[in-house]
Amino acid sequence: MDETEIDQRVREIAKTLRCTVCQTETLWESGAPLAQQMREAIRTRVSQGQTAEEIRAYFHGRYGDYIMMAPPKEGSNWLIWVAPFLLLAVGGALLWREVKRWVTRTPALQVESPPPLDEESRRRIERELQP
Amino acid sequence: MTRTTQLMILVVLFALFSLLYQGLWGDPRHIPTVLVGTRAPVFEGPDVETGEPLSSERFKGKVILVNFWASWCQECKIEHDNLLRLHDEYKDHPEFVMLGINYQDEPPKARAYLQRHGSSFSHVRDVNGTLAIDFGVYGVPETFVIDKNGVIRHKWIGPIVDDVYANLTQNVLTPLLEG
Amino acid sequence: MIIEIGHFSVVTALVLSALGIASSVLALKTRNVDWVRVGRMALTSIFILLFLGMASLVYSFLVRDFSVHYVAATSNSQLPLFYTIAAVWGGHEGSLLLWVFILSAFSTVAVWLHWRTQPAIMPYLIGVECLVIMGFLLLILFLSSPFDRLIPAPPDGKDLNPLLQDPAMVMHPPMLYMGYVGFSIPFSFAMAALLSGRLGEEWIKVTQRWTVFAWLCLTTGILLGGYWAYYELGWGGYWGWDPVENASFMPWLVGTAFLHSVMVQEKRKMFQVWNLFLIIVTFSLSLIGTFLVRSGVLTSVHTFATDPERGVYILLFVATIIGIAFGSLLMRANKLKSQIEMDSMVSRESVFLFNNLFFLVAAATVFLGTLYPLMIETWKGAKVTVGPPYYNAVFMPVALGLLFLMGVGPYIPWRKASPASLKKHFRVPLIVGLASTLLLLAFGVHGVFALFGAFVVGFAGAAIVIDFGKISRLYARRESVNPLKGFLSAFRSNQRRYAGLVTHVGVLVLVVGIIASTVYQTEKVVSLRVGDEFILDEYRVKLERIHEVRGKNWNAQEGVFEVYEGDALLTRLRPQKRVYDASQTPTTESAIYAKNMGHIFLTMPDVSPEGVAVARGVINPLILWVWGGGGIMGLGVLLNIFRPRK
Repeated sequence: MDETEIDQRVREIAKTLRCTVCQTETLWESGAPLAQQMREAIRTRVSQGQTAEEIRAYFHGRYGDYIMMAPPKEGSNWLIWVAPFLLLAVGGALLWREVKRWVTRTPALQVESPPPLDEESRRRIERELQP
Repeated sequence: MTRTTQLMILVVLFALFSLLYQGLWGDPRHIPTVLVGTRAPVFEGPDVETGEPLSSERFKGKVILVNFWASWCQECKIEHDNLLRLHDEYKDHPEFVMLGINYQDEPPKARAYLQRHGSSFSHVRDVNGTLAIDFGVYGVPETFVIDKNGVIRHKWIGPIVDDVYANLTQNVLTPLLEG
Repeated sequence: MIIEIGHFSVVTALVLSALGIASSVLALKTRNVDWVRVGRMALTSIFILLFLGMASLVYSFLVRDFSVHYVAATSNSQLPLFYTIAAVWGGHEGSLLLWVFILSAFSTVAVWLHWRTQPAIMPYLIGVECLVIMGFLLLILFLSSPFDRLIPAPPDGKDLNPLLQDPAMVMHPPMLYMGYVGFSIPFSFAMAALLSGRLGEEWIKVTQRWTVFAWLCLTTGILLGGYWAYYELGWGGYWGWDPVENASFMPWLVGTAFLHSVMVQEKRKMFQVWNLFLIIVTFSLSLIGTFLVRSGVLTSVHTFATDPERGVYILLFVATIIGIAFGSLLMRANKLKSQIEMDSMVSRESVFLFNNLFFLVAAATVFLGTLYPLMIETWKGAKVTVGPPYYNAVFMPVALGLLFLMGVGPYIPWRKASPASLKKHFRVPLIVGLASTLLLLAFGVHGVFALFGAFVVGFAGAAIVIDFGKISRLYARRESVNPLKGFLSAFRSNQRRYAGLVTHVGVLVLVVGIIASTVYQTEKVVSLRVGDEFILDEYRVKLERIHEVRGKNWNAQEGVFEVYEGDALLTRLRPQKRVYDASQTPTTESAIYAKNMGHIFLTMPDVSPEGVAVARGVINPLILWVWGGGGIMGLGVLLNIFRPRK
């Protein structure tokens, strides 16, 4: 593995972990000393050949769910992972049904016969239709 | 609007406001530890005062109190006397060991700090922050108690003062040492 | 002395807000117009008094009166003039005062502006606005007063948070508040409609300009916040899904849904309840956003000190307003049976409905993500983080759906779209969309979102371009002028529609910028000494020297980096690591070079005593499109607001 590849891997991993001392930044973004050391620790592990999953698991084991930038997909966390799609699906289905009901209830669009045109309008339309 | 929709809106609003109310009383700095009950990491590093290598392996089978500190940390100064007192209280117990881990510090500053505030037990220097990460440390001071089997039994974030001191000694250390 | 005058003015304003509420109630009871006049006078006086309050605070900052606690806490004698004024809203107390001051200004303008045409609405408008004003004034005066004295006065103040000493941050809070507060006008009109039972289209037509104005301010505020984060926080990104950012994004999402949905009611007289619901939710989210930011309930870089007492009060107040609003809606909702006529599943009406669905789901997603950590803490005592990886995964699909609808919507006729018209309008856009996806694929992009994004942007963009092209040619022919002039007269013929499309174009440009600057971003963090260099994409960056720089109230270590393209020197970038005197807080100042609508972005977060600098280099292609897109969106809104009245 060359340096650029290591950098790339470190970046990918660090972007999914939270800087624990700075509230809402990722390890990658943070300038805090602890974050810097954590990036070093990730780097060491990457060059030792550990996989991204192993490294994440290491940090997760030390700091808990808090350090993961997104909640792991397990247990009650599924709630927020599926909720948007569920809402979209259920909402979409309900809306579809409702609109369909409205459409069937609405009498078919009346094609009203247009009132006879006066001469001026007729000429204007013709003029505008000309290429 | 149907009754169900109306009811749903009310329930959602009520739930939301109770949640926000509950949230007001949470401590944003409090982060539950996941390490209690797991095997403590082995740690080693140079002794702050002598520079000799020091490893936790040497104290296998003993109750170890580990305290993370730094010379730039204000809260550490507050708890320092208590740490010395605590060490005094338990130092004669053959199965008790107390170790400081010096976190993100410069050795001269750390040595000066110990000279000024007193030192009765050994301190390991955390050279590149890996010890702190191994222990899942957020900041200093943090204190851990490891039992005879090498399992972390207690963690405290913040200074050891007043009630915290009493709790640490009476409910954590004494039972572990007696038991 | 001056500050006491301000304090006294604000106290008087509080009393007058109670009078405003009382006079509104009396006006409704007695049907006597004099009471409405009293209300108008009260509201106008509140505005003047709050102006005095603001002015006295600004004055105290300018003369550096550190015996005022708030002045001492957020400024010091070295602070430059510009930031001294900004410091007025640099802390919790002052920003609340600014909030309520803007509110009083807007509502006073609204009352005078609509006085003649909307007499029946006035008591409600005055009453609701005074209620909100009173809530904020109580909070300011009793729980977070910027007028408190600090005796004895310290020789010098602390400092304005160095991160806030930045031009974008000076404008960000006022814009954001103008957005939040702007929505209070349509909200008050909606409440008036609800309470008075006049549920026609009147309130929507009257407040249409207010709505888009509020939307413009909110959008500008959000973008300024992003711009600030981009070059001040120093990690090269502009949006971090931070709870405070989310708090401003949620009302934006629902507000956008609202300003689309009202068109259905204007045109087809449907969905009255739905629109009332949307504006109530929008304004509620503005209030909840204020609560989230001000109470410290969420842990975020921006949150101010936690103080449960203050939080409880804000929550009570917010709950009262929201409770009243939803209460009236629920009580009245059954009487509001509007006749819904839908001729087809494929019609403008139904596209708007689905647009609303997507916007609401988007808002719900952000809402859930923002509050989920709180829920987990309450239920399980555990802590979780919901950050960018989550939103990237779940929000993006919803956003892409919205963009697709944005391309489709304007070209589906009201009532019913015939298959022939669909084919006519969408054949070319579909081809363009697919072509842009293939083009991106050919360039080796495999990200699903980027590919879908390209399709949607190509599709929607083509539809708009074709539309503008057609209409310009038509008008040019008709008036026998050149196509550009034809375009202008076409534009004026239906300015509301075309202004809207301009905003859509802005959105597309913004989206291209977002996609390009995330997908193609190159980033590198290196440690180097003077003389070392590193490769950043196609550039060579060399650290030439590090020297000390002195600013008015800070010291900095400045790195001078030479950026080479090949062997040619492109530019010298000078990122700084500043330490502000008063607070000794370090900040990183980025250095930016713009090239081909993109940025070469450099920061130097750290220099060790041994002279090893840490540098972060980022290449953000097409990032100027993000800000440019925002500008075009704003232009569209301005064209909408200043359209000729019919």
